[in-house]
Amino acid sequence: MALIAQKQKPGRPPAATPRKRANRSRRLYPYLLIAPAAILTLVFLVYPVGSVFYYSLQHSNVTQPWDDGFAGFENFIAMGSDPLFWRSLSFTAQWVVVEVGLQFVFGLALALLINKSFIGRGLARSLVFSPWAVSGILTTTIWILIYNPSTGVGRYLADMGIGEYGVSLLAGSDTTFWALVLAEMWKGIPFFAILILADLQSVSLELYESADVDGAGTWRKFVSITWPHIRQAVVVATLLRAVWEFNNVDLLYTLTGGGPASSTTTLPLYVAQTAIHDRDFGYGSALTVVAFLILTFFSLVYLRITKSKEDDK
Amino acid sequence: MKRTDNAQSPTRSRKGRTALALAAIMASTLALGACGSGSTGASDSGEVVLELWDTDTRPERTENLKKLISMFEAKNPGIKVNYLGLPTDSYMQKISTAIATKATPDLVTPKASDVSALVAQGALAPLDQDFKDGGWEEKISPAMTKSSKAASPDGKLYLTPATSLADVIYYRSDFMKDAGLSAPASWDDFYTAADKLTDKGAGKFGYTLRGGNGFFSQFVQMVYPQSGVDTFFREDGTSTLDDPAVVAAAQKYVDLYGKDTAGSDLTADFKTMVAQFGAGGAAMLSHSIGSYPTHVAAIGADKIGAVAPFPADNGKTVLTGRMTTGFSMFQASPHKEAAWKFLEYTMSDEGNSFWAQKSGYLPGNLEVAKETWVTENPAMQASVKAVEDSKAVVLEQPFYLPEFNSITTTDMLPEWQRVLQGDLSVKDFLTQSAEKLTKAQQKHAKK
Repeated sequence: MALIAQKQKPGRPPAATPRKRANRSRRLYPYLLIAPAAILTLVFLVYPVGSVFYYSLQHSNVTQPWDDGFAGFENFIAMGSDPLFWRSLSFTAQWVVVEVGLQFVFGLALALLINKSFIGRGLARSLVFSPWAVSGILTTTIWILIYNPSTGVGRYLADMGIGEYGVSLLAGSDTTFWALVLAEMWKGIPFFAILILADLQSVSLELYESADVDGAGTWRKFVSITWPHIRQAVVVATLLRAVWEFNNVDLLYTLTGGGPASSTTTLPLYVAQTAIHDRDFGYGSALTVVAFLILTFFSLVYLRITKSKEDDK
Repeated sequence: MKRTDNAQSPTRSRKGRTALALAAIMASTLALGACGSGSTGASDSGEVVLELWDTDTRPERTENLKKLISMFEAKNPGIKVNYLGLPTDSYMQKISTAIATKATPDLVTPKASDVSALVAQGALAPLDQDFKDGGWEEKISPAMTKSSKAASPDGKLYLTPATSLADVIYYRSDFMKDAGLSAPASWDDFYTAADKLTDKGAGKFGYTLRGGNGFFSQFVQMVYPQSGVDTFFREDGTSTLDDPAVVAAAQKYVDLYGKDTAGSDLTADFKTMVAQFGAGGAAMLSHSIGSYPTHVAAIGADKIGAVAPFPADNGKTVLTGRMTTGFSMFQASPHKEAAWKFLEYTMSDEGNSFWAQKSGYLPGNLEVAKETWVTENPAMQASVKAVEDSKAVVLEQPFYLPEFNSITTTDMLPEWQRVLQGDLSVKDFLTQSAEKLTKAQQKHAKK
């Protein structure tokens, strides 16, 4: 022992053998492989999300830097007495439910229709899917032109004696919501149709033939054969679409800017107005945290419900 | 097994080293990318390169600004100016990002209403000393200099008083003639004309009212001069928005909506109003003199007339929209001397004459203001004549309040639209808005 102790220099670890070095390299190798992805995720996902949580507890307004500082939960408490927050939350719920519901119904109908064999099916499918391929900004530009009171459809209808001049569907208290719903549906329906059609095509025709032999009607075949096959696609599409519609900013911002009278302001749009326009990053971050928690909660509940139903089967 | 492991070790070790090297390259690449910035400074030839960000990218303006830059470069061979146009509706986001990342350019063209926010962030360089040393106090309109200083929270000069806007009411002279009307000379004339020129069945309206983004400037232009109230705050610091005369005038203005305007005006912004006026859908429009070139391009100079706000019942002529439209220098500019030369050029006889004439702005340079082209522009002529009225008072908006922008846009716009929809009374709208402005003013006074 004494001999060994003499040979080792104090404070310096024994030199690693080639075998130990090889073992260490082998252990590090997988970490090195995932390091670039992990670093990118940290930089572009974890850090920004963490920043939002941090700023939600701060007073941070670039136009009033003298008031900046730790706010605790003041931003969250302020939401309680902010009528626009509650109004935007209520409108967001209405928007998501109506949009996703209608897109699902029409998307399913379209998918069932273009799954049938008929002449020109290829062309029909291309036409059905084309709105999904159009960029968001182009979609809104198309609808701005359609709804424009001077040059849009309303003008031509007025020329024909239908309706009045100078009326915009986007400026009426009763019409704005449905005008927006229509514009968004135009883009959203193909998404449902594409996903459902992909699953419909995997259903074996023999199943329908057997059902025919057993005397099953159209509804029975849909419930017992079609629905179980497309159910998973519907779950995924509904969840994705609900999240996207919740976060929808581009169409609403471009067509109405959240108006008139804030009647079409969703929570994310309110975040954009607060943080980007008013440059109140503290309150904007707090609103974002609330939106994040709402989305997470409902996504988990939705997945839980659909999973338990799946398990029951 | 052991043997296999041993046999693979050197290979894996090499792989590990390769992966390590790749990761190091990626990390250094990312780091280099992150360090990159848009700032330049000096070209290889040693000339100073200035970066100029413009916040108004209407095509005709961009063309004129580029021409102004080339004129400046011809006079100053050692200085080059790079132009960058920012989206008109989101330029402040880009500027805020640049301030946060310390990547600001040398020069910018902020609106007077942006100055307060930029000064609060310590982003702009004060120009008072250079302005004084260059003898510009004598050469530039004192009213414009005063207005420019009034837009900043500390009363210093950050925006060169190169040019200024002024509010006017544009009218279609051909429509007026066809209806047997002459140019309105009083508020009563204006309302009568709006009524007579409306023919809903033919899709023609007497006036286009700004119900959407930017509504507040039109609101002020049409309401305060009618009321005869010439200040935004009373001596005790309370807002005059709830003054009975302002409420009465606002009610008259609101009553135009739906009667003599299109229903779609509820969400009309500047572009919509101009399009409606240009297409013949509206006979009158309130805006600044700066949009005159746009109207001329759409309709032709022979069909456009302009009048300045009319006197109120109390005899006062309240002038609105006298907003300086100049250039500013960023505090972080490494080329302040060259940047100031450019700012001086925009106020000089040559630069100011070109820029003001082409932009349709009132020139700040007192010599340029005497040039003949000023009297040939009806909108400008109306503005100049209005100032000559001995009872004329300029209404200064409180752009120095950091909250002013958010109160008059985010807070007031939805409520304004509720007023137009008939869901909120004019009095309640102005009372609650006055409270917010009073609070902001009192907070400012305490600092």
